[in-house]
Amino acid sequence: MNNTIIIGSGPAGLTAAVTCAENGVDVVVIDEYMIAGGRLLGQLYEEPNGSWWNGIKESTTLYEKAINLGVKFHFNTAVNNIEQSNGLWVVYTEKDTFYTSNLLLATGAAESPVPVPGWTLPGVMSVGAAQVMTNVQRVKPGERGVIIGVNVLSAVIAMELQLAGVEIACLTLPKRNRITMKAGDPRKVLDSLLHVSHMAPSPFVRYGSKLMKNDFMKKLGVNFYPKKGVKMWDIPIQLRKAVTKIYGEDEVEGVTLATINADGEVVSGSEEHIPVDFVCIAGGLYPLAELAAVAGCPFYLVEELGGYVPLHNERMETPLEGLYVAGNITGIEGAKVAAAQGTTAGLSMAHRSGIKGLDNTINDSIKMTEQTRNSAPIQFHPEIEVGRKKILQQWEAYQSTKRESICY
Amino acid sequence: MTRRILDHPILGKIEDKNYVSFTFNHKVYKGLENESLAAALLANGIRTLRHHEESGSPRGFYCNIGHCYECRVSVDGQQGIRACLTPLKEGMIAESSGQLQTSSKEDGGLENE
Amino acid sequence: MKEDEMIICRCEEVSYEELETAAAKYKCSARELKLRTRAGMGYCGGRSCRTMVDKIAAASANDQNRTCVSLKYQPPIRPISFENLGRGR
Ligand SMILES: Cc1cc2nc3c(=O)[nH]c(=O)nc-3n(C[C@H](O)[C@H](O)[C@H](O)COP(=O)(O)OP(=O)(O)OC[C@H]3O[C@@H](n4cnc5c(N)ncnc54)[C@H](O)[C@@H]3O)c2cc1C
Ligand code: FES
Ligand code: FES
Repeated sequence: MNNTIIIGSGPAGLTAAVTCAENGVDVVVIDEYMIAGGRLLGQLYEEPNGSWWNGIKESTTLYEKAINLGVKFHFNTAVNNIEQSNGLWVVYTEKDTFYTSNLLLATGAAESPVPVPGWTLPGVMSVGAAQVMTNVQRVKPGERGVIIGVNVLSAVIAMELQLAGVEIACLTLPKRNRITMKAGDPRKVLDSLLHVSHMAPSPFVRYGSKLMKNDFMKKLGVNFYPKKGVKMWDIPIQLRKAVTKIYGEDEVEGVTLATINADGEVVSGSEEHIPVDFVCIAGGLYPLAELAAVAGCPFYLVEELGGYVPLHNERMETPLEGLYVAGNITGIEGAKVAAAQGTTAGLSMAHRSGIKGLDNTINDSIKMTEQTRNSAPIQFHPEIEVGRKKILQQWEAYQSTKRESICY
Repeated sequence: MTRRILDHPILGKIEDKNYVSFTFNHKVYKGLENESLAAALLANGIRTLRHHEESGSPRGFYCNIGHCYECRVSVDGQQGIRACLTPLKEGMIAESSGQLQTSSKEDGGLENE
Repeated sequence: MKEDEMIICRCEEVSYEELETAAAKYKCSARELKLRTRAGMGYCGGRSCRTMVDKIAAASANDQNRTCVSLKYQPPIRPISFENLGRGR
């Protein structure tokens, strides 16, 4: 029997573990990856103040802190099911079964693809895969690649790849179809990029001082898709081109790139071959909430949060007794917000474990999360706050129908 | 072939001393201890990790973080192991062949909506 | 390879055309589309293709505006090998 189990050792899970342990609560953390850090491990970008956010360092610091506080870790351990039984949560892994009073799901996000003919060839990978290969495993995904899908994440990762000496031939769009939809529509993509530029200094539009965001955006806007594309950190961004095919015999040898009109339709006869040895697919992120689903938690579709999210409140509680969520499972945001949510979840679980006097701290922590959100260097969805409000409204609605059904 | 990023302008240098030997499809390779098996293979220029069970189309790692199961190989006799999550050890024997048995289909185990 | 033959579900090798055809014919939910085509029922449990299959279903189905759902996932969410089945349970 455990007091608290945390599934996922990303920024949310690690921070929650540290918070619980600081309050004297026993914690076990389970993760299927080899080391602690989750998607924080691969992150590398320049902060507005010019210092570098080094995900490996941040992860190591948090992990060591947790170890020193006595937190126990099980790595290379995948959780395949959870269920509630006799007031306890049962956590099934391939080898062992764990029992706990408090369970935190901090399983993060997964990538959604944009499909491209030929995308099952070896050498085609999600953009996050290239990030991990490069920054965590320190092996180049290839010598020269193309990134399909232009969004905040792919732009940041393109920069990281270039930093490591990997050549990016271009960032470009997938061909428009019923799945790629917005991601294949140059106007919609431009729109979403412009949204990003409204935010506080973002690494997407400020790298060094050469390309100030206004300059970059002016070029994008005024010349409306120049034929040669626009360069960002010397990487061509092609909003008026799309990959129609990835080709190669047994692995990637190149992509077919075509010119598209402003509506995203291919201009026939414009196809050219671009030789590359790897291709990244960047279709965005969605909350990885499968364990909340098998537990029977109610879900809501909130586009601003990246997809279906399990119902939860600001204290990171779900409607299921003893089950908590934190980090990207609740909506797609950067690592700092995930960590802030982790603190709140840790405090809430400590509170439920009987630690007294935490109410004010919990409220402060909720405020802290909001502040972190407002000053976040990376925002994946411009309307994130709208999304957060929606889920809280759903929580209220759910609680009041529950009260009503108790009355009758 | 050297595809490793030994020196990185921000992340700094990595030690490349602890090389171990491992086998993939009966050939011996070298990789760094505790790097992922997928990374070790890529550093040796190997992208194809398996072939699709029905069509036989070649597959490599796709997500690199355990989600897609495209990188599954057998490791030391155990099948269905994700190469992207497996730390490399001295003497490890990996193979891309081998059909995987699961509890999935017969009882609808993986039927998800 | 033409766009129609493009694979959507990597695990079960279900093509764009197969999914589009089934969606147009049955105008069904994502769940039914999966049962009909096997897309999403492969080894990864639909983690890779789920969002794409959902989009195809949503574009054809009548119940586009469902925001409240009980997401249906069946355990195990990670395949268990035979050797370990029954252990620790
Ligand atoms: C590929 C990718 C790249 C990203 N890059 C950036 C970036 O550059 N900058 C940025 O700000 N944000 C990025 N993000 C967003 C990122 O999700 C957040 O920044 C942050 O890492 C979320 O933290 P988390 O703790 O919620 O989850 P994560 O950091 O994702 O950690 C979740 C952990 O849970 C584990 N896990 C999941 N399911 C199971 C299971 N069933 N059993 C056992 N363990 C499990 C995983 O192995 C993982 O270690 C990226 C996300 C992804 C998916
Ligand atoms: S590459 Fe996706 S699980 Fe290993
Ligand atoms: S890609 Fe469809 S089930 Fe895995």
